[in-house]
Amino acid sequence: MTAHFVELLDGIRRRSLRMAALVEDIVDEACSAVMRRSESLAARVCTRDHEVDREEVEVETEVIRLMALYQPVGSDLRLLCTVLKVNNDLERVADCAVNIAERACHLDITKLDAQRVEIRRMDPLVRSVLHQAVRAYNSQDATDARKVFQQEEAVDALYGQIVRGIVREASESPEDMAAFLDVLSVAKNLERIADHATNIAEDVVFLCTGEIVRHQDKDGEP
Amino acid sequence: MTMGDRGASVRREKNVLQTLLGKEGRKRHNHPSKNGNSIMRTDTMVPSASEPAANEVCDCTERSAHISADGFSVFYGDHEAVRSVTLSIPPGKVTAIIGPSGCGKSTLLRAMNRMNDLIPRTRVTGKLFYCDQNIYGPACDPVELRRRVGMVFQKPNPFPKSIYRNIAWAPKINGYRGDLDELVERSLRQAALWDEVKDKLDKSAFALSGGQQQRLCIARAVALQPDVLLMDEPCSALDPVATARIEELIHELKTQYTVVIVTHNMQQAGRVSDLTAFMYLGELVEVNETRTIFTKPGDKRTQDYITGRFG
Repeated sequence: MTAHFVELLDGIRRRSLRMAALVEDIVDEACSAVMRRSESLAARVCTRDHEVDREEVEVETEVIRLMALYQPVGSDLRLLCTVLKVNNDLERVADCAVNIAERACHLDITKLDAQRVEIRRMDPLVRSVLHQAVRAYNSQDATDARKVFQQEEAVDALYGQIVRGIVREASESPEDMAAFLDVLSVAKNLERIADHATNIAEDVVFLCTGEIVRHQDKDGEP
Repeated sequence: MTMGDRGASVRREKNVLQTLLGKEGRKRHNHPSKNGNSIMRTDTMVPSASEPAANEVCDCTERSAHISADGFSVFYGDHEAVRSVTLSIPPGKVTAIIGPSGCGKSTLLRAMNRMNDLIPRTRVTGKLFYCDQNIYGPACDPVELRRRVGMVFQKPNPFPKSIYRNIAWAPKINGYRGDLDELVERSLRQAALWDEVKDKLDKSAFALSGGQQQRLCIARAVALQPDVLLMDEPCSALDPVATARIEELIHELKTQYTVVIVTHNMQQAGRVSDLTAFMYLGELVEVNETRTIFTKPGDKRTQDYITGRFG
């Protein structure tokens, strides 16, 4: 049972990592779709999201099967719990990517110089946060995972700047309101992606240490 | 049956019981009160300077009854089956001892009421305490100890008697002066068996199912009003339904007794125990809250064992 189970665990972990790589790709494409106003890229994001949805259900089914049949404990239990939670976050990240890509069809971001600059800063930062979280998940490195927490704060700060900028400029250019709302939606979804990346990082800390670090400040206080 | 016959019959039964519980003759004839937890001999033994005096009543209350080991080892001949174990069994909790076959967990459990005394060439070093009284001290009365520290074995072993007499027998020959019927009912209720057997108390215990027989053995153990119940793989011979009943019973028993259970079934240890001790090659590797042992064990050997990497 042992060798077989270890093999199954490794299989589900690799499958979850493949899904993470797919989701990272989708986020890249969604951001490119908006910046290049590419409808074909946006359509591709939607198609690939269906792939993520299917994979999410299959990974979840397999985790439940392994839990029911093998009643894992210790690090095996932590791994399966982590796969299950990361699985959910990855699917949500892909949904955010779809939301971003949908803006590509009607948002001409070139009209909004200031916001374009801000989004251009936020987009790589968010992708970097997501990549860092996935890398920590791959290497099962709690130290790497904790680095995500600081990066996520930078994303939040940038998002705040964008919102304040839009509030300021929207009153001066009400004719661009629709574009402002689209930019706000893109920024919000990027910020949500960073939140999901943080969740993944928190799950990695749990996977490595057994410690639940959600709802704590940086000093570990609740 | 004449009075003389009845006297001889009681003596025979008493001899059989003493053989089952231990070879030492019992000196006390009154059913011991639970007000004191002394397991000391009441007769000839002279205490050593380091031992509490005979008849000294432990100041532990019933709820604080517990067992602790301090550098305790058990040898079978030259083989050290239990190696310098230091462990504290808290009162009112279920403590599970897990580990691969031959790791010494049953030996440690059996040492807690001196069952190993019956095995030739067995010796111990270090200290093992019941309520601060050294179980292997010269002043300890093993028979009294076994009344205080009851045991349930792997295979149900009811006496070849009626259900009623299985429960009533030991208290009766121990001179129990209360209402035996009430004691039998209370014990069977504690073992969650009363409703199933109340109408057939005079039937042979062998007519019961395996799970019922095991619960009868638990009822028999609690009839002597022990402080501690030792369970040596109590469900290994039972089907899943009977196992679930026993596990439920263990949850209820811990409100009144300290329970120590040896099990090979780690899921069972996880379900029923508050604390789990992991033993390997005679050593106590780790003891901690069960939820910690089964989610983030501190020692790699524990991790490897509970996840089935070895053992």
